[in-house]
Amino acid sequence: MFGGGQGVLLSSCETERGGKVVWRVFQDSVMLIAVNGGQGGGGGSSRGEELSLQRLLENVWSSMVLVLGQDELASVRNVERLKRDLRSCFSLIDQLLEEKQEGIMGNLTHCADCLVPPNPTLLQEAVENFTQAADSEFGCLMVHGRIAVATEKWWRLAPQEVVLLSALMRSLSASGSASCDYPVFLPHGSPTVAHRLLRFQLLPGADVCVLCGPTPSLLRAETTLVGRFWLPLADTLRDCLAVGERCLPGSVSLRPDVLALLLINRETRRSVSCVRASSDSSVPSRARCWELLKLFYIFSTTRYFSQEETLCVSPEEKPQRSSCEDFAPGFSHQPLQCYLVTEECKCYTLQTPQHQLFLLTPLSVPTFALRTVATHTLSAITAATGF
Amino acid sequence: MAPVPQPGAAVVADWHRDADSREFFSRILHKKRRRKFSLLESPVMPPHLAVDTVHYKVFISGKSGVGKTALAARLAGRSIPSMHYETTGIETTVVYWPVKLRESGRVLFFRLQLWDCGENALRRFDHLLPSCKEQLDAVLFLFSFTDRTSFDDLSNQIAKWSGPSDRLVKLVVGTKYDLFMHSDVTEREVTRFQEEWGSPVLRTGGEVSDGLGDVAALLNGLAENLWHQDCVAASQHSQQATGTLI
Ligand SMILES: Nc1nc2c(ncn2[C@@H]2O[C@H](COP(=O)(O)OP(=O)(O)O)[C@@H](O)[C@H]2O)c(=O)[nH]1
Ligand SMILES: [Mg+2]
Repeated sequence: MFGGGQGVLLSSCETERGGKVVWRVFQDSVMLIAVNGGQGGGGGSSRGEELSLQRLLENVWSSMVLVLGQDELASVRNVERLKRDLRSCFSLIDQLLEEKQEGIMGNLTHCADCLVPPNPTLLQEAVENFTQAADSEFGCLMVHGRIAVATEKWWRLAPQEVVLLSALMRSLSASGSASCDYPVFLPHGSPTVAHRLLRFQLLPGADVCVLCGPTPSLLRAETTLVGRFWLPLADTLRDCLAVGERCLPGSVSLRPDVLALLLINRETRRSVSCVRASSDSSVPSRARCWELLKLFYIFSTTRYFSQEETLCVSPEEKPQRSSCEDFAPGFSHQPLQCYLVTEECKCYTLQTPQHQLFLLTPLSVPTFALRTVATHTLSAITAATGF
Repeated sequence: MAPVPQPGAAVVADWHRDADSREFFSRILHKKRRRKFSLLESPVMPPHLAVDTVHYKVFISGKSGVGKTALAARLAGRSIPSMHYETTGIETTVVYWPVKLRESGRVLFFRLQLWDCGENALRRFDHLLPSCKEQLDAVLFLFSFTDRTSFDDLSNQIAKWSGPSDRLVKLVVGTKYDLFMHSDVTEREVTRFQEEWGSPVLRTGGEVSDGLGDVAALLNGLAENLWHQDCVAASQHSQQATGTLI
């Protein structure tokens, strides 16, 4: 703040013990400050840590807008009232801080976590018809907290909104309720006018939602539409649920030497990720694999690959922000692949114009073979699913 | 308000303890815990035991933090959230509960859909309350034994819901009864309120146990009142019908 008064932009600092403090002012009104304890979260680098903290700040701000709307946050009339109203955001914010659910990468990547159903056509049709019947164009089917199918308009929401709505759906789904009618503001598309997010739990782990206006009422949508469109598809939904946390249908066979993977489609801003179950004690545990996958993503995107810029930076802020990027060690060329060998596993990233694949393998895989494993895996997935 | 039946007059109280109820309660249990029902699921009975299901919509009313979301979770047999997060929209919970009618011995599945909406959300968004009121069958008015003001405000709350068409079951539920050591509301006050109000105050609190014994009194009480209301309405309706015939 002192620096700001002198026209200096300071965006983060570090404590002696390696803790990191990052902050940002949103809408000239609210300053959010994120502090971490020093270890971890950054792929071992300060820039990596900054990336995850910056992401956290953006996500927290967007959650606040999602629940309260921008007007209430941008022009604060009564601080006490705002403090009380902010409590409504705590559930989402805590979820962002805790990152409890394994296998959810979207908060970090700002790509939608997806699950590829074995039979998408039927489900796609059902989501479209259901959405239309609910007077909406925005509809989405979530399975195990990931998007299985969605309407075209849903995919045209800002990537960050898709990620945030997914997070909200996960928390509503975890509460075990059968249906919801939640007022939501869209941080990019509609920050000052609330829409209604209707959500219906079709089967445990399978939820459908639509974003709509004043009609239909929750009761009417539930009694007249849910059974009509989804009862005939109960078995298809069960097949889809059976895909489980693998997120890829049985038609994709992964090589046994793939421990974990994260595949991002750079055009559609969607991702699938999975960790393979293994009883082998020489490889890291499932939980550790998820952690390593995140760290490796941060490592490679901050050092070598650009993450697609979805940072929700306002136009006037942009020149300032990009000026701090200039300090980063620049490459004269664009890397296409990178690898990393650690004490726990080996990691490999492959980038094509359309995809980024992040892969973990056991130490037993020879380093020279990593590239083959990665190219095979990428083509196995894209050939079988068209992801 | 229509006279409320004596507890246990219309439905068999504590039926879940009787041997002949096991066939029915087993349909709402899974591994000794309550089964959770999503929208496409319902209890399935073998053909020779097929029973009717009656549907009701129930709204849970009360100030923020009184325990609305916890009550919905408890009645469905889910564990109670330890943190208090505001419910920032409408959330509904589906509860199936088998009931045996005393007179006829007939068994029915009650499908109760509990509607829970945070007070702040109701205040901030005008469309939520009408949505909660649409085709409503019952309101549960909650007060907390640890919050005096929530008890004092009951008459106000109830008054807001008395309209010309009075086909609405209204029950009062005291929450956090397990924290009686810190109770702000005395037994005498509750007794006096029951006498004035002409209907019992139900109580809940404590850990969710097997999901039957801890909720049976409340669910049977609610079912009984809903059934009674339907019977009264049906008899009025048939009287009117015969009236016009003559
Ligand atoms: N001890 C105890 N705590 C309860 C009970 N019901 C709710 N709570 C706690 O009270 C807080 C608020 O409950 P909640 O249901 O979220 O309130 P709501 O705002 O009315 O939905 C939570 O921390 C609950 O754990 C109860 O019966 N006994
Ligand atoms: Mg609540």
